[in-house]
Amino acid sequence: MITAEGLTKRFGDKTAVDDVSFVVKPGSVTGFLGPNGAGKSTTMRMIVGLDRPTSGRAAVAGREYRKLRAPLTEVGVLLDAKAVHTGRTARNHLRAMAATHGIPASRVDEVIDLAGIGSVARKRAGKFSLGMGQRLGIASALLGDPHTLILDEPVNGLDPEGVRWVRQFVRHAASEGRTVLLSSHLMSEMAQTADHVIVMGRGRVLADAPLAELVRSWTRNTVRVRTPRPADLAAAVGGPDVEIVSSAPDVLDIVGLPASRIGDLAADRGIPLHELTPTTGSLEDAYLALTGDSVEYRTKEIS
Amino acid sequence: MTTTQAPAPTRQRVDTGRRLTFVRALRGEWIKLATLRSTWWSIGIAAALTIGIAVLIAQAVDLPDFMPIQAVVMPIQFTMLLAGILGAISVTGEYSTGMIRSTLTANPVRGSVLAAKSTVLAVFMFVSSLVIFTVAAVAVSLIVAQRDQSIDWADPAASILPIVVASLAMAVFALIGVSFGFILRSGAGAIAATVGVLFVLPIVAGFFTFAGEAWAWLVDAANYLPVSAAQSAILPSEGAALDAPVAFLTLGCWVVGGALVAWGVLRTRDA
Repeated sequence: MITAEGLTKRFGDKTAVDDVSFVVKPGSVTGFLGPNGAGKSTTMRMIVGLDRPTSGRAAVAGREYRKLRAPLTEVGVLLDAKAVHTGRTARNHLRAMAATHGIPASRVDEVIDLAGIGSVARKRAGKFSLGMGQRLGIASALLGDPHTLILDEPVNGLDPEGVRWVRQFVRHAASEGRTVLLSSHLMSEMAQTADHVIVMGRGRVLADAPLAELVRSWTRNTVRVRTPRPADLAAAVGGPDVEIVSSAPDVLDIVGLPASRIGDLAADRGIPLHELTPTTGSLEDAYLALTGDSVEYRTKEIS
Repeated sequence: MTTTQAPAPTRQRVDTGRRLTFVRALRGEWIKLATLRSTWWSIGIAAALTIGIAVLIAQAVDLPDFMPIQAVVMPIQFTMLLAGILGAISVTGEYSTGMIRSTLTANPVRGSVLAAKSTVLAVFMFVSSLVIFTVAAVAVSLIVAQRDQSIDWADPAASILPIVVASLAMAVFALIGVSFGFILRSGAGAIAATVGVLFVLPIVAGFFTFAGEAWAWLVDAANYLPVSAAQSAILPSEGAALDAPVAFLTLGCWVVGGALVAWGVLRTRDA
């Protein structure tokens, strides 16, 4: 269980995190979303005591991180920035971390196997590829077999096999009753992994809801219809709450009516349908709708 | 009939004895120090310089009141920089690579991190210097034996004491480097500050020896610089700049003062 109460962090006159409160519950995977600069990483750093909040408190298992008696067995942390000395081998890095908690060398070898870095464990971390560095970071997070996992962009740089491994691993960890807080910019990945989502934008919490509910309330269901008589169909289904967009001569995208109703209306009037496809909104759609105004570094639309 | 929702799974907390202690933090710091090549390079170069220069001095200096043990401890003028720099980079290397974040998440008590790192550096520098100076003493003995001189091991003040105190001084220099490392965080900055205090300031103060009475206070103040204090402590004599107790106290103040400032910075700044 992670709790944040009124967490605020100011750097000079810039407020990176602004009065953020949330609870991350055990037994599920909580996704932590937000545009670059939204304050996710700073929030995570405050939770694990690397940054001191300007005001507010963060606690893991009811205690401030700095007061934990066994931080590594309580919380496994992977931060976005590198956190390994480049001159030390992966195995020695893990040994040094393990030694602080009396974690045996057998566990070091276990996490090396788990993270799939056995072949490079005796190489210096400075020579690692992005993906291998990420796997070493994950191995460090798992060292203490922690109750809580805080992973900032864990799949960054991983190959597809690694991405799937992380997904299965965090799902399994949550099913065992662990607390998982996970950030990622890969929406499709997050949609498959998270049960619950916290969205940040400009330092504030924009949404904190179960994933399905978030998608439902921030997207619209559209039905794509292909017909040789689009004008007739448009007239048949038209109404005050119905929105119709035509993206091709024989295609209508209809919002506001279920597919079954559209099919019935077409059948009544003898309008042939070549396609009738309901599409539900995705997490990505919901995310973009939600954070539209709070993207700090916006890209120019390509015209 | 009422349906109850399945309770969220909860994990049993089993006490595995895996928790943070200061002794374990020391072990972690020792593994970190011992698994970097730069550590062993520094010690190797310090050993080569100490033994090499000691042998050269022993061969070259043949004066009536010359004690052979002087040849053994004089190379500290050069190796002090290696001690200071090793101390500094043991900290700044963590900041430049991001390792400090791993260190501070494994041990979030900042004072404990500072204490563990300082202790490991100091003990390591003391023990390795002890070994190096002892080897140098043996080498010097062999050389001065040709002139029928010897290190008088029966007189601690002419043999074992200077070696022990010089090793302590090396530990102090390493700790000054550690403090500058935590205070400045950047490798270049911390090394510059360490070299400045250990090496440059004594030279600058030396210029003022000829500057007349008005600058005498500055020359006196320079006696309290770490290296001058170390010289007064290693080979106490009538002519030493500081009395031995004052010299030891001065070295202690450098260690404690540096550690306090480092602690103040480390505990308040974001990592």
